[in-house]
Amino acid sequence: MILDLHNHSIKSDDSRAKVENYCQWIRKRDLPIDGFALSEHRQFDSESDYRPLEDEYGLLILKASEVETDYGHVLVYGVNEDMVAAFDFSRIDLPLSLVVEEVRRCGGIAVPCHPGRTRVGMVAHVHQRGSVEGVEVIEVLNGGSRGTENDEAGHLAEEYGYRGIGGSDAHIVSHIGRCATHFEEPIESIEELVSALQHGGYRALRPA
Amino acid sequence: MSPRRYEDVEFGEDLPEVSPDVGMENVHRFCHATGMLGSRFMDHEKAKQEGLPQAIVPGIMSQGLLVAAIHAWAPGCQVAFVDTVFRAPLLVDSHPLCRAVVTDKNDEARRVEIDLTIVNEVGETRVMGTATVEL
Amino acid sequence: MAMSVEELRSRYAGMVFDSVEVEALAEEMVGFSTACGETDPRYTDPGHADFQAPVNFTTKYHGARMLPDDFPNFERARMIDAGKAVAWHAPIRAGDTLTARSRLYDIYEKTGRSGVMLFLVHRMEFSNARGELVSVVDWRLILRGGLQ
Repeated sequence: MILDLHNHSIKSDDSRAKVENYCQWIRKRDLPIDGFALSEHRQFDSESDYRPLEDEYGLLILKASEVETDYGHVLVYGVNEDMVAAFDFSRIDLPLSLVVEEVRRCGGIAVPCHPGRTRVGMVAHVHQRGSVEGVEVIEVLNGGSRGTENDEAGHLAEEYGYRGIGGSDAHIVSHIGRCATHFEEPIESIEELVSALQHGGYRALRPA
Repeated sequence: MSPRRYEDVEFGEDLPEVSPDVGMENVHRFCHATGMLGSRFMDHEKAKQEGLPQAIVPGIMSQGLLVAAIHAWAPGCQVAFVDTVFRAPLLVDSHPLCRAVVTDKNDEARRVEIDLTIVNEVGETRVMGTATVEL
Repeated sequence: MAMSVEELRSRYAGMVFDSVEVEALAEEMVGFSTACGETDPRYTDPGHADFQAPVNFTTKYHGARMLPDDFPNFERARMIDAGKAVAWHAPIRAGDTLTARSRLYDIYEKTGRSGVMLFLVHRMEFSNARGELVSVVDWRLILRGGLQ
């Protein structure tokens, strides 16, 4: 099963992509992905119900978040009410250690994204200040990366033994499906995604 | 080219790719037409002194290149809205490509949404955006 | 101490702080369009019956002030252009005198490759001599490092 684990919709301030258009695009272009996650910036979209789109297009649509920490941006999967109460998703200076710990305590998993990116990726921060306990998975393939940024993420994963996921980081419709994650077992819910991310059995890939 | 009819446009349709002229001479032409006479746009050496790799194409010119690509595809259309994000500098005298693709159709308003990108020689996105076009 | 984003927003967001008049000149419209590779004669030929400015022609204009007079000071070198959105409302013809009113439409903060970034969304609304709204430009300005 292949899921694109990092995308933004019009719920994010810098995205113009409607979720239905992502679905149409995946089907029109026959992209080899089975679903995607929406990781809106600095918030969790608790309102939107994408089940009708899932049924219409036969895709799994999962809701996540991308928060901003002192080690860069972090994808959060398995967001629930406890987690939303545990820390302020809208802040831009959250301590990564706090996010990792609280997300885990609330039953989710925190995944630093685009680690090779200047300032908002964790590679440089780790080299300057050391690693952060509790990080187990990072995004090693990001569709918005430039130059050697994905290579740097891969090297960090090797050095610290992190597992790697892939996501397109799409902000416009046609960018979905550039990077994704292949799971050995089927996934049907956010709970199953969190469990899989915690236990392994997946790899990042470029589907097209 | 003849005008395009809304009915003939398909979701997912690629607009013809355009290789825009971002040579120094043409960028000078744009700068003089707009009064944007900053050396970062018009002089490689002075741009380097400002910490840039070389002179850069004004953001609004890159937006104009994408608008022109839409007009070339659908003469007579009206671009009702265009929004571009300058993700990374587009370099003067480089050889970028303008790409665009239809990503939504609104039958009631007879409008289409178009994804817009300008990529550099190695395929990295430098400018990204969307447009709403009335046909 | 620097003002918080909430303070900035409550004090400045929405406030019209500048108004200027500009004239849309045919040669500038043609120069803008041809340099962008425009092929449609509506934008390149002043003799065309429907000659008009391209949709984003208004992005070339600036007001007399970029920000309200009492906006907190910062080094202008830390400011970068993050992008522009333009909404077309009606044609701009050669010789039109346009009134452009500026306001700070939104203020928010996030982090990116430039570190902490304060976004100032500067909105310019252009009206023609008949009072018709012709164009709205949202200019996203990033202040790298925030106000400090």
